[in-house]
Amino acid sequence: MLLDQFNFHYISGWTAVASWRWIANDENCGICRMPFDGCCPDCKLPGDDCPLVWGQCSHCFHIHCIVKWLNSQQVHQLCPMCRQEWKFKE
Amino acid sequence: MMESSDELLSKAWTVISEQLKPSASQNEDQLNRKEFCEAWQTLEANNLDYIVEEWFIETLQQDLRHRIGPLFWNFFKELENQTENSAYIQKFVESVNYLYEITREYRSCINLLESVSPLGETATSKNISSLIITFYKAIIFYTYPETFLTSVGKYYSEAFRVFHHINTESHDSGEEKSPLCDGCQIDVSTCTCQEIMETFHSVNKKLDDIGVLEKVSGAAVTSIVHSQIESYINTNCKGNFETSYFEHLEKWLDTKVLGWLNSIYAGEKSHNSISAFRGRLLHFLFETYANARIEQLFMIVIDYPESEPAILDLKTCLEKTNLRSQLMSSLRKALEDRLLHPGVNTTVILSAYISAIRSLRVLDPAGVILEFVSEPVRKYLRSREDTVRCIVLCLTEEGSNELLDELWKGQPLVLEDDTCSDEDEGDWETWMPDPVDADPSTTSKSRRASDIISMLVNIYGSKELFVNEYRTLLTDRILNQFNCDMDRELRYLEMLKLRFGESQLHYCEVMLKDVADSKRINSRIVQEMALVEQKMDIDINALILSAHFWPPLREEKITLPKEMQKSLEEYTKKFEALKGNRTLNWKPHLGMMKIEIEHNGTNLSFSVSPVHAAIIMQFQNKARWDVEELSGVLQMSVSALRRKITYWQTQGLLKEEVPDTFVLVDEVKGQGHEVVMVEDESESAMASAQQQREEELQVFWTYIVGMLTNLESLPLERIHTMLRMFAMQGPSTGEVSLPELKGFLDRKIREQKLVYYSGVYRLAK
Repeated sequence: MLLDQFNFHYISGWTAVASWRWIANDENCGICRMPFDGCCPDCKLPGDDCPLVWGQCSHCFHIHCIVKWLNSQQVHQLCPMCRQEWKFKE
Repeated sequence: MMESSDELLSKAWTVISEQLKPSASQNEDQLNRKEFCEAWQTLEANNLDYIVEEWFIETLQQDLRHRIGPLFWNFFKELENQTENSAYIQKFVESVNYLYEITREYRSCINLLESVSPLGETATSKNISSLIITFYKAIIFYTYPETFLTSVGKYYSEAFRVFHHINTESHDSGEEKSPLCDGCQIDVSTCTCQEIMETFHSVNKKLDDIGVLEKVSGAAVTSIVHSQIESYINTNCKGNFETSYFEHLEKWLDTKVLGWLNSIYAGEKSHNSISAFRGRLLHFLFETYANARIEQLFMIVIDYPESEPAILDLKTCLEKTNLRSQLMSSLRKALEDRLLHPGVNTTVILSAYISAIRSLRVLDPAGVILEFVSEPVRKYLRSREDTVRCIVLCLTEEGSNELLDELWKGQPLVLEDDTCSDEDEGDWETWMPDPVDADPSTTSKSRRASDIISMLVNIYGSKELFVNEYRTLLTDRILNQFNCDMDRELRYLEMLKLRFGESQLHYCEVMLKDVADSKRINSRIVQEMALVEQKMDIDINALILSAHFWPPLREEKITLPKEMQKSLEEYTKKFEALKGNRTLNWKPHLGMMKIEIEHNGTNLSFSVSPVHAAIIMQFQNKARWDVEELSGVLQMSVSALRRKITYWQTQGLLKEEVPDTFVLVDEVKGQGHEVVMVEDESESAMASAQQQREEELQVFWTYIVGMLTNLESLPLERIHTMLRMFAMQGPSTGEVSLPELKGFLDRKIREQKLVYYSGVYRLAK
């Protein structure tokens, strides 16, 4: 009866809205304390231009932050969170 | 010997006194004159000549006082109750003629006397004739009856009209002739203009001969000229702001008014008095003109730039007259009266303010007038809620308006607080001091700044408000209207960056980049799908936002139908594959869906929000839904659901059959084949200000819970002070007022997280 008369035909187009986020175990970068989904203090644009990197210790930082940190270390390159030797996760 | 000299003397005296009687000297001839001279010499030989002069003057005074004066004024006595203009004029001419006759009689006596009496002998007067003129003025004209003044006034007004008429006749021949002559106001055929002019000249000549022309006519002429100037300006210049009248007026004054004056005072010896009079009249002209302009300045300002000639005229007038302060207060009052009340739209006030800025810059480059006049406008605009929005809308509106033109100039913003010292102001040679009425507390440079956008921003004195408003409007355009022209937006952003600085607009830059990136990601995903010859069930065009850079977005709970959900998940997977370690949080309530519905054989298409689509989709499976049931399926609140259903009700697809139960309408009435409807725009994508504030207050909640756990119970004031001490220190947290905090705590009580008992708050157990 009614069902025959009414037919939700199809969706011809959908402009959907989403926000992206990093899949990380924390909200903020441990070095700059800025949100991961934002960007490090030196950057202007988040996302591709200011990516995250993970260490083998499973901690992650803005790439610019950790590189800066590692460059400032004289002897050993340690993760600033857990003090293990820093190695980039492949 | 003695006797003979006495006889001689008395004989001489008789001769002289006879000769000096006005009636007698009428037929003066050589013989009389000779006789008179001899008599004079006789008296002079006896040092009695001074008596003659004194006697003559005394007689004249007596005569003036008792005979001539009363007779002269008699002409005007009869006019007491007259209304006819012509009677006044008639009497005036007659009286002048009479006086002229009298004085002519005396004149020959005076001439006679002057010919024999050496000049300058009496220290009091230079010569007898000027002394006599003084007597005329003193004895006859020491007082005027009212009727005399009216007569003079009427006579000279008529003369002016006739003069004006005769002199303009030649060039307005094209106009329709009225049966009455403009000059003498009687029938054209019997026009008496020429005669009037002739008698006018002769009357002036006679008065001049008597020596009382200026005394009699001065006041009347001045007032006629003044009123003529006033009426000329009123009829010619009022209401027309688009032409400059300056030269025209000056020319008019020189040819018409001064021409007339010259014709009156043609015989006057002191001809240079007219050129002095010209200066005064010119000043009066400027003053009257400026007054007329000031009266209409509000309209002139509104009409700018069409009214620029009027502004420039006024500027010249202000340099010559002393009307500046009057102008300022009258314009300020006009603005207050006509703009600053609730009946006027903010956009109207703004555009008036903008034209005021532009026009008053021309009028007064130092900006003092503008500063004074616009002060109430700025103050009022500050109190309007939608001012910022209006300004930003004006700035970003399609098409061209004044503000846009300003924006394209691309000057950096000048804010009131970043003022430089006056020393480094460019060229010292062209430096001008501020006018005396300038406010000394502001620098001259900030006043002189001519940038309209800066002035508007300075209404509030902060850039943030404007940038935030721009961001809000941009969000609205992107998320609600989906009609954002990226190139144009980017261009705008660049211009705004020049104005407001990079850092302020950083967020907006990211927002626009998000839109551009989303487009790229979408096309990448579509391409990849095409490679593996796959096709998504629903063609999704995602807008992927960097949440931190957008204004807080409205949250709404809803669970979309499975097929929709599936498409989103699919898209998320593609995204994750494309951008490692990143994922998407969908905001299903935002966005727009184009849907096609077939109903009773009619195809309908709608552009609605996904929520609306989800609702109508449910009716495909089941034609009758209970609200509760439907809200359970969609997992959205009943009230929100009802709001959304209203849309379908207005579209005629659903109806509420029994309360709380909605069914599909069998027949769609307004059958449009292509019905495209966009969701009502009242619902913004952004969280409302209240919701945002609530979120801010939520920061304090943790503190409050901490306090109440440690101290068990606290009164409102203590909580407030402690929050002030600990939580409101950082720059990120805002202030919270006592009533606001109370409202917040009251809400927590309603949520049963707090207990309020005998003036103190406790945590609920």
